[in-house]
Amino acid sequence: MAYEEPIRDYDRIVENCTCAFCGCNCDDLTYLVKNEHVVGVRHACRLGASKIMEDMDQRLLVPLIRNEAGELVETDWDTALDKAAELIANSVRPVFYGWSETSIETMKQGIKLGEYVGAVLDNQATICHGPSLQAVQNSGYPVNTLGEVKNRADMIVYTGSNAMNSHPRHLARYAAFPRGYFRKKGRFDRTIVTMDPRYTDTAKMSDIWVGFNPNGDYEFYTALRAVLRGKKLKEDKVSGIPRETIEELAEAMKTTEYGCLFFGLGLTHSLAKQRNIDAGIRLIQDLNKYSKWNLIPMRGHFNVNGFNIFMSFEMGFPYGVDFSRGYPRYMNGETNTIDLLTREEVDVFMVIAADPGAHFPGGANRHLANIPVIQIDIHWGPSTELADVVLPGSFVGVEVAGTSYRMDGVPIYMKKAIDKPETCRDDEWIVRELYERVQKIKGEKIASK
Amino acid sequence: MKNITFNQKKTSTIALEFDELIPDEVYTWEKSDFDKYMVPIGNSRFPLSDYFDVEVEGSAESPAEVIMTLNGDLGRVKYIGSKMTDGHIVANSSVDLHCGAEMSGGSITINGNAESYVGREMTGGELEITGNVKEFCGASYIGDWRGMTGGIITVHGNAGKQLGECLTGGQIHVKGNCDILAGIHMSKGFIQIDGNVPRSPGGQMLNGDILINGTLAMFLEGFDQEEIVSNPTVSGKQFNGKYIKFTGDIIRNGKGSLWLNAEKNRHLL
Repeated sequence: MAYEEPIRDYDRIVENCTCAFCGCNCDDLTYLVKNEHVVGVRHACRLGASKIMEDMDQRLLVPLIRNEAGELVETDWDTALDKAAELIANSVRPVFYGWSETSIETMKQGIKLGEYVGAVLDNQATICHGPSLQAVQNSGYPVNTLGEVKNRADMIVYTGSNAMNSHPRHLARYAAFPRGYFRKKGRFDRTIVTMDPRYTDTAKMSDIWVGFNPNGDYEFYTALRAVLRGKKLKEDKVSGIPRETIEELAEAMKTTEYGCLFFGLGLTHSLAKQRNIDAGIRLIQDLNKYSKWNLIPMRGHFNVNGFNIFMSFEMGFPYGVDFSRGYPRYMNGETNTIDLLTREEVDVFMVIAADPGAHFPGGANRHLANIPVIQIDIHWGPSTELADVVLPGSFVGVEVAGTSYRMDGVPIYMKKAIDKPETCRDDEWIVRELYERVQKIKGEKIASK
Repeated sequence: MKNITFNQKKTSTIALEFDELIPDEVYTWEKSDFDKYMVPIGNSRFPLSDYFDVEVEGSAESPAEVIMTLNGDLGRVKYIGSKMTDGHIVANSSVDLHCGAEMSGGSITINGNAESYVGREMTGGELEITGNVKEFCGASYIGDWRGMTGGIITVHGNAGKQLGECLTGGQIHVKGNCDILAGIHMSKGFIQIDGNVPRSPGGQMLNGDILINGTLAMFLEGFDQEEIVSNPTVSGKQFNGKYIKFTGDIIRNGKGSLWLNAEKNRHLL
């Protein structure tokens, strides 16, 4: 890696900022600001720093509307908002998707709008930790905070997660390396275990790697739990792991002082889906008969957990909440974005702070290409190519303040560091404005009847 | 008897919700009532007459005297027979989600395939599907520990994942093959699968019976082999031949029984 000169050319420093990238929500960042742009970030990982030092070439700065020739053309805010409000007001099966990279304050406005028009509100959990949320509803949530992990944990297990690549500071700040109150020697006081079919970068720096067969998670966890219950395993190998290794691992987990299991999409999206997480939660419950164990899902976006917590608190369901009958409903396979799109039920799609164009399966994107799409975002992306109305928002945690929830459920207030571009609007304002305009259109319709 | 026939006029890409059109609600309805009825579609309601031509013959004193026949493409009609307590529904097509969900009596015959959640949390009645069923047949609502608690589901084709999840009573008979995790978390009731199962039936089961007449490719470490039984009687039904009886799931101190056809599952002995 080439040596990079430290950044010395800046006007001011903003300290104690919160990273708006992954679910670690590192809140110890320092931004170096010059001419109202973040030109350098201290303490962040490369992923976080590259997002915060935004690329202005791709920044959406003015509202856009797709014209009859199929091209996105610049327009004023009133025209764009009226067009978006008209689409929403006249829709029969609208879906408002995203929310994971914006603030709780924006979500509050989103619920108001969604409930009023009878929309489905869904977030990225539908394609990532949705199975974890279902399993939590079934089996409970033995969660702790990352602070407890840092200060107490002497065994860390990563399963189906490659934190070294996806959450680079997770190991450095919370789990593996930091010196804690009861773990004075940091990494030397901890045993790191990685359970993953692949020999990932996280596995390379771990003390133990358990490389079970792909899709063998459920059988492996069942065997581990059977050993904890004192059963002698019949098979020589379970999911490709020798019986002795499973027995040794069970013993190590039993005799640890404080353990934490971090699980990622490798577990949520292999064959048994939510039942893998269910088995993982039950494993933690079993281990608590011998020691102290907890688990935390490795959430991806900085506020993906926030949407689930906020929706559960406000509406009783974590994601895929359907207001079409006037009250909240939730059913996997029925009220989730991917299912609704692949079944071609959606007639208007509003995407806020997300990029379905880049992440959704082909069938879902094919339908998005055929229906009106409203995009509220800060950057040009594949979803912009699908959008009919583009409303440029603001960067939460950099240009506007807002609340987010860390992967362990700790709320963090993200402060503003610089001013947003003059032509952009804050996400919360945009959604509130849409609500008011939709209300006006619907009111006029009722009056005319 | 009252015969109510729904003949489809046009289909909708957005699913129609039929939870209000069950024998319990419509046994007193005349044709004019159906013509006035607005069916929920997305966030709005539209005239049912736009989508179905409804014929009504005879009269009924109670839901038990109603036979509802649905003709056409029902692939976008959800909640058929949901929460019904009596009467009979015949669907002459494949049906959409939640058919027979929470039904407590009466019967439904589906001459086709059924989407996911067919017979979800049903407490009584009979449900017969001549084709295949997708995931979560006879299962629970997310987060609930009680799935189907009574009644009978018969599937003439194949079944998807998590058949009879959290089964707490009743019987499910699948005449074809069944995907993974059949009877997961079940605590009572009986699942009979005549075809093959790839892996993990009865995961975390507490009680009840699962009988597999086909081949089971892989099973869980939480089950212990008890004995080989000739012509066993399982949940009141007699089966001919030799069956290997396993009990589990040990990881939950379960006392459920997994019966495997000995002839076809020699590899597990």
